[in-house]
Amino acid sequence: MLKVDNLNKTFHTAAGDVHAVRNVSFNADNGEMVAIIGASGSGKSTLLALLGLLDAPDKGSIDLDGVELANLDSGGRTKYRSSQVGFVFQQFNLIPNLSARENVLLALEYSHWPKADRARRADEMLALVGLDGEKSRRRPARLSGGEQQRVAIARAFAAQPQLILADEPTGSLDKSTGQKIVALLRSAASTQGATVLVVTHDEKVASQADRRLEIDDGVLAEIA
Amino acid sequence: MRSVGVVVILAVAIALSISMLIARDAVTTKINSVRASTGNTITVSPKGFYGYSGGGTPLTTAEVNDLLDLKNVTSVQESLSEELQSSQTSLKSPTPSGTLGGRFGNFGGGSGGSTGSDSSGTTFTIPVRIIGTNSPGNALVGGANGGGTEKLTSGTSFSPTSKSNVAIVGATMASKNKLKVGSTFTAYGKTVTVIGIYNSGSTFADSDVLMPLTSLQTLASASGQVTSATVVVNNVNNVTSVTKAINAKIGSKADVTSTEATTEAALAPLNSVKTISTYTLFGAVIGAAIILLLSMLMIVRERRREVGVLKALGAPNRSIIGQFIAESTTFTVLGAVVGFIIGAALSSPIASALVSSEGSTTPASGFVRGAGGFGGGGNGFTPPSGTRLPGGGLHATSVSNTLTTLHTSVGWSTLTYAFVFAVIIAALGSTVAAATIVRIRPAEVLRSE
Ligand SMILES: Nc1ncnc2c1ncn2[C@@H]1O[C@H](COP(=O)(O)OP(=O)(O)OP(=O)(O)O)[C@@H](O)[C@H]1O
Ligand SMILES: [Mg+2]
Repeated sequence: MLKVDNLNKTFHTAAGDVHAVRNVSFNADNGEMVAIIGASGSGKSTLLALLGLLDAPDKGSIDLDGVELANLDSGGRTKYRSSQVGFVFQQFNLIPNLSARENVLLALEYSHWPKADRARRADEMLALVGLDGEKSRRRPARLSGGEQQRVAIARAFAAQPQLILADEPTGSLDKSTGQKIVALLRSAASTQGATVLVVTHDEKVASQADRRLEIDDGVLAEIA
Repeated sequence: MRSVGVVVILAVAIALSISMLIARDAVTTKINSVRASTGNTITVSPKGFYGYSGGGTPLTTAEVNDLLDLKNVTSVQESLSEELQSSQTSLKSPTPSGTLGGRFGNFGGGSGGSTGSDSSGTTFTIPVRIIGTNSPGNALVGGANGGGTEKLTSGTSFSPTSKSNVAIVGATMASKNKLKVGSTFTAYGKTVTVIGIYNSGSTFADSDVLMPLTSLQTLASASGQVTSATVVVNNVNNVTSVTKAINAKIGSKADVTSTEATTEAALAPLNSVKTISTYTLFGAVIGAAIILLLSMLMIVRERRREVGVLKALGAPNRSIIGQFIAESTTFTVLGAVVGFIIGAALSSPIASALVSSEGSTTPASGFVRGAGGFGGGGNGFTPPSGTRLPGGGLHATSVSNTLTTLHTSVGWSTLTYAFVFAVIIAALGSTVAAATIVRIRPAEVLRSE
C-alpha cells in the first residue's frame, strides 16, 4: 500500500522557481494499476522521480507498506530503489552493451537477489514477457522497440518490487505494440502484487488502468 | 570502436613516453660514463704559447706551485718545453726529411731565427724537442691529456726533484741516434746520460727527450720557468671549480684548459639530445594524461543516461565508479602494454638516430701537436691521445668510441617511472570519472531527449 501525503517539489532555476509538484496526496493499493495523465510540463515525471526516490521532496511523506521513505539518506534511497522500485521508461533505457538477459540479471544483482536463484528468476521474468530463448541473448540494439520495452518490464519486475513507475512506457511504440505493453504491465501488476503507476498521454492506455489521476500544474486530482 | 581509438592514441603517447624515457636513460648513462672516464686534470700554459711556434712568457715555478694551495688540488705536474737547434746538441731529430721536413725546417728556422744549414735545404734538420718535467712517472703513463700509452721499455726513470743531467728518450729518437741506456749525448754544451727509453707507439711523441725539470731549467738558462703545468684535481666533479680558481689566480698570464671543458664540449650534443628527450617525454606524458582524462570525460558524458539508469536500478555510486575505473584501467593497461612494446622497440633506433645525428664525433685517432697541441699547450711530452680540432670543436676519441657503442636498455628505474606515471594517469582519469559520475542526477533519466 502506497500512501502519499502533501508532497511538494520546487525547482529553483535562473528563470525563477518552478513549483512542479504541489501538495500531492493519494493512495494506491498493492496489485493496483493507476494512470497519471496531464499536459506536458504539468509535473508527471517530477512526481515519479519523487516516488522512485530519484529526487528528494521539499516537503511531504511517502509511506510504502508502513515505511516512511521521504527522509531516507542517500544509502537508504539507493537500497530502496534496488529492491522496492522498478522503472519503465519511454526510451527503454536498457544497458546497451549487456544482453537482454544480462539487463535483467543486473537488476537482480543490485537488489541482492540470492545468487543461486538469479538465473532462474531472470529466465522466469523473460518468459513472462514473452522474450525467452534466443532473443534474450541479444543486445538491445538487435531488438525491436516493443521487445526492448518487454525486457525493461522484465527488469523492472525482476526483484519483486512493491512499486512500478512507468513514465510514458508506450510513448516510443506504435499503438498496437503499446496496447500489448500496457496489458503486460497490468497482468504483471496483479500476478506480482505490485502497485503500478503509469504516466501517459494516451487515453486508451489510461482507460486500461484501475484508476485515473490527473495532474495540472503540479496539482493532482482523482478523475471520477 | 571508440575504445580501440582511445587505446591506440594512448599506446602511441605511452610508446613515445617510454622510448623517450629509455633514450634519456641511455644518454644520461652515457654522459655519466664519459664524464667519469675523463681526466681530472687541468692544463695551464703561458698565454699565447703554442707548441713549436713558441711565443708567450713562460710561467714561473713559484706561480705554478701556488696552485697547490687551491682547494681540491692534489698535485701539480710542471714541465718546461725547449727546442734544441742542431748547433746546441749532438742529437739528430728523427723527423723524416723531405718536403715536410723542409717545410718544418723553414718554419722553425724562420721563427727561431737560428738556422742550421740554410745553404742546403735538403739536409736541414728540425729542432729536437726536450721536455723537463717534475713528474716523469705520470708524464709517461698519463699526463695533461688524460693519459698516453707511453711505456718505459728499458732503463729507469728519474726522480721528480733530480738535478742530474739524465734523460729518458723516446724510442724513435733513440734509434735515430743509436742511443741505449747508458749512452750519452750533448745538450747546451753539457753531457747528458740516457737512463731510460720509452715507447708510446707514436712517432711524434717518441721523438722527444725527457729530462728532470730542474736540470733542464739550469741547462737552458730558464731557471724557475715552466711552459706548462698539469693540475691534478681530487675529483672529476671539482674540475670546473678548480679551473675557475686557477683562472682567478693566474688567468691573466695563463691559458687554462681542462679536459673537462673539452669533454663538456664533446658532450654538448648529447646533452641537447637529453634535453630534447626530456621535453618530449614530458610532452608525451602530459599528452597521454590529457588524452586519458578527455576520453574518460567523453565516455562518462556520453554514457550519462546509462549512469542514470544504473542509479535508478539501485546501483551504488561506488559500483558505477568501479565499473568505469575498471574500463579506464583496461584502456591504460592495454595502451601501456602496447605502448611499452612499441616504445621499447622504437627506443633503440630513436636513441642511436638522435646520437648519431647530433653527436657525430668521429675524430681520427692520434694526436695533433703540429697544430699547436691544443690542450697540450706547451707540455708536449704527453701527446694528446686522440684529440683533434674539427673546425674548432675538440673531441676525444674515447668519447666518440663510447658514443658509437651507446646501448639502450630498459632499466628498473625506467619501468618504475613508467609504472608510476601510468598509475598517476589512471588515478587522475578515475577521479575525473568518479567526480562526473557522482554529479549525475538519477532523475535525469526520466528526461526524454
Ligand atoms: N531538474 C529540473 N530543473 C528545473 N526545472 C525542472 C526540472 N525538472 C523539471 N522541471 C520543470 O518542472 C516542470 C515539470 O516537469 P516534468 O518533467 O515533471 O513535466 P512532465 O509532466 O513530465 O512533462 P512531459 O509530459 O513533457 O514529460 C516543468 O516546468 C519543468 O520545466
Ligand atoms: Mg515527463
